[in-house]
Amino acid sequence: MTLPEQNFNANGLGNITGRQEFLNRLPMFSGAPAGVTKMFAYLAKREEYAQGEIIISEDTRCDRLFLIMSGKVDIFHRHKGRRFHVQLLGPDSINYFGELAMLAEFDWFFSARAWTDVVLMTISREAFTKVMERFPESYPVVVQKIIKLHINRFADQGSYFLSHISPEAWLEDPPQ
Amino acid sequence: MKITGADNRVRITERSLFYWILRRHRPMQFFLLLVIVVSLFFKVFPLEMQKRIINEAIYLKDTHLLFLYCGLYIGAVTIAGLLKYAINLCQVYIGQKILVEMRTELYHHVLQLPLQFYRKMQAGTVISAMTAELNAIGFFLGGALAIPITSILTFVVFIGFMFNLNPLLALLSMGVYPLEIIVIPFLQNKYNRLNKKRVKTTRSMANVVNEAISGIHEIHGNASYGLEEKKLSTYIHKLYDLVKRLFIVKYGIKFANNVFQSMGPFILFLVGGYMAINGQFTLGALVAFLSAYEKVYDPWKELIEYYQDYQDAKVRYKQIMKIFDLDPVHALLPFSRDPFTLQGNISMKNITFTVPSGVKLLEDINLEVMANEQIALVGYSGSGKSTLALLIAQLYDASQGTISIDDHQLAELSKLDMSSNVAMIAQQPFIFTGTIRENLLYGVQAVAGDGPLPDRSHILSVLRQVGLQDDIIRFGLQAVLTPEQCKPFRDKFLRMRQIIHTSLRSDFEKVVEFYDAAAYLYYSNIRDNIVFGDSLTGEFIIEGLPDHPRFMELLQKTNLEKPLLTLGYAIATQSVALLANFQDDEFFFRDNPMRADEFTTYSQLVEKLDGPQSKDKEARRLLLILALRFIPQKHSIVSLPSAMEAKILAARRRFQEIVFHIDRDPATLLEVWSPCITGPKTGESVDFIPFCPGEYMYTHTLLDNILFGALKSEQMLDEPLRNLAGQAFQGEHLLDEVMDIGLNFEVGSKGDRLSGGQKQKLAIARAFLKDAPIVIMDEATASLDNTSQARIQGLLETDYRGRKTVIAVIHRLDLTPSYDRIVVMKAGRIVEQGTYDELMERKGAFYDLARAEF
Repeated sequence: MTLPEQNFNANGLGNITGRQEFLNRLPMFSGAPAGVTKMFAYLAKREEYAQGEIIISEDTRCDRLFLIMSGKVDIFHRHKGRRFHVQLLGPDSINYFGELAMLAEFDWFFSARAWTDVVLMTISREAFTKVMERFPESYPVVVQKIIKLHINRFADQGSYFLSHISPEAWLEDPPQ
Repeated sequence: MKITGADNRVRITERSLFYWILRRHRPMQFFLLLVIVVSLFFKVFPLEMQKRIINEAIYLKDTHLLFLYCGLYIGAVTIAGLLKYAINLCQVYIGQKILVEMRTELYHHVLQLPLQFYRKMQAGTVISAMTAELNAIGFFLGGALAIPITSILTFVVFIGFMFNLNPLLALLSMGVYPLEIIVIPFLQNKYNRLNKKRVKTTRSMANVVNEAISGIHEIHGNASYGLEEKKLSTYIHKLYDLVKRLFIVKYGIKFANNVFQSMGPFILFLVGGYMAINGQFTLGALVAFLSAYEKVYDPWKELIEYYQDYQDAKVRYKQIMKIFDLDPVHALLPFSRDPFTLQGNISMKNITFTVPSGVKLLEDINLEVMANEQIALVGYSGSGKSTLALLIAQLYDASQGTISIDDHQLAELSKLDMSSNVAMIAQQPFIFTGTIRENLLYGVQAVAGDGPLPDRSHILSVLRQVGLQDDIIRFGLQAVLTPEQCKPFRDKFLRMRQIIHTSLRSDFEKVVEFYDAAAYLYYSNIRDNIVFGDSLTGEFIIEGLPDHPRFMELLQKTNLEKPLLTLGYAIATQSVALLANFQDDEFFFRDNPMRADEFTTYSQLVEKLDGPQSKDKEARRLLLILALRFIPQKHSIVSLPSAMEAKILAARRRFQEIVFHIDRDPATLLEVWSPCITGPKTGESVDFIPFCPGEYMYTHTLLDNILFGALKSEQMLDEPLRNLAGQAFQGEHLLDEVMDIGLNFEVGSKGDRLSGGQKQKLAIARAFLKDAPIVIMDEATASLDNTSQARIQGLLETDYRGRKTVIAVIHRLDLTPSYDRIVVMKAGRIVEQGTYDELMERKGAFYDLARAEF
């Protein structure tokens, strides 16, 4: 809610209504009851990262979902001391990562860094669980959507791999 | 320890109640007896005076005699009163002194009882016995000797006086007493039986409550409130029924007493009156006789009450002693020698351990461990490996067979021998209420007594070894220091602040919003933005500000009151609407200026108000509190209108002027306004300290002081930043000081302010600090993360190799290769032993276990 005297200032996080509109545009929350998105808008946090900064690192505990409000995020893997880029996420395409952190506790299996300056909205697993406890009827639908979102991201990564794979790796069967 | 005197040869639980009374504080008890005897004279003397006043002074109409006898009467009565006061004080003193000794000695005994005792015993029973039940006995103890002696002597003296006046009347009025001797004990026996049941029921009730409190997580988790209430309700009703019956009997006894008491005067008036009319008895003598009769009843009544109290105390005492009627298995101190210094050779021969139900947990164990050897005990769950570790630590005692350390049989070693030579780390260690330091030194202190304790550098190095350094530093940084605590390091801390704000500024400003007197602070609340400082006396806490005349005057002068009320109203209405169904969970209020427990208040307020500008003083107060708590970047419930920022900044400047009564001109002349210009000089004793780079903020944590700003997010002080700060601390030689402050962190009840890993590491550090030659670890690292587990394992492999005998019960087999020998157990027996390579090659039980794990 913005007070009658003035608009909220530029440094502000934005109000609940603004955040709720953003969440409503996301497939994960489309069709969810207004109460659910409003609570997530209330409990969400804003995080800002400068270009090149690490957002999450592999093997650290996952605890939140990231929604990209502006900027681009590079998703990468570390393998045998090398960094492998797997995905570039932005506000207009696949604009989320860490979606499985809502459902289970595990160590991140990928890393993310700010490709440009980025502004993210995050929802912690604790907040997700607490809200879902109050809206049990929405839970199965949201879980299904989270899984679909993950499949989307997974499929996107898969096609990226296939188009960048070396000819030597192009084998029909796994090596014996 | 004074437990070995001749006075204590009888085992504590076999002593009678009078054992304590007759053997303790004899000079004091003798003094009390003397006072009682003296007081008797002053009790009887006024009766004689009564007789003489009537028979001599009034009869002879002699005013001189009247004054003399009245003076003597009042003098004697006053002295008797003072002596009674002294007797009461002596009684309490003796009673409480005996109680202190009884409780101390009993607790000493209780703590030494073997672990098997505690497996069966409910904590509630022990607690109730040691506290409330002993208290009740304490009240009896003081008067245990004094009351019967005083009462009997008083009784005898008054009866003697009455016989002296008229033997026939005395005999008649005493006639009712034999009847009482029959009736009262009959009722009392009934009372005792009920009382026993009451004590038992109270204990059961204490156990139920104790169990519920201990398992409160489970109760909340299962919402099993009804179930638990039902459990207690049975005992509540049983207790109600018992107490009801108890009081029927108790007041029955009183009733019988009263009836008997009224019989005396009846006989006296009838016979004595008849005799006086017929001139066989003087009037003075009759008055004195009546007084004496009334007085003789007091000691009788006291005796009856004493009898009741004695029976009550006896029942309680016997019940208590019955619970603890066991002998400690091992001597506490070595007999006329210093504790042994052992090498650590352990030998087990034909060890069998059977539990009371007859099940054998260990059978025919034979194991030789060389000094400084490191042994891993492995096996399936229930194979007896933990039991074996507990036997070696003398926490359990073998049913058959012998264990010896360096040729000393374990059964013959005292507890002090064991604690000086063995450090035991349990899988779920116990952390005591107190500071980290107290917990760390627990084991060392028990052995050293009043001797020297490890110095700070040793303590800190052990903490580093077990990986607790970062946690202790964090506790240190979270400490709020008093000016006295801070004084030695104040300048160094301020120097750290300077380093963060200059050379490390670019790293830290991403995560910290530094205090800047000229800028609005989006990560601080509005109160901090206006007051921009703190009062040591709490004068400017938010909840008090709406009633602070100068502060409210400031809000009005700077036109801030109305906008703040509007902001508070917006927060209240939005929060009430959003959180109506979430008010039972504090989680939803973490990022809200309203607290969960205030929801109902604000909900009622919102319903009552039709706008922000209410005339009601309490409503304005509540709305202002919400507004002053508002942090724009943290509380998303509303946004801060930018027009308010300028007003708040103006109010900040005005506030400093009002607080210090200083004209802003000097600051304006310098063209840079800063609270430090108007603020107090360093070192001056002042109440208000502004957020000024040169001032330590005593109401804030050490971390706040060093950062000198608000953290943008709790999680954002990440590892690289912590390392940067750590290096800077190291450079300033401050790390040890901060750790030292961190050691004073209060861990809470059972250490509940620590995480599981922290508790475990603290227990490991506590054991390592003892530096004992034998270390027994019962899955001591099982609850630690992999890195911490590897760190402790590394310590055993390097620092402890060749220095200590280590016996480690291990679940994770990948930790076993570094051990000198692996002992594999199955169903209470040792089935295999050897090095890792040998056992893997043998492809036996260990190989199977390892294959199952990987």
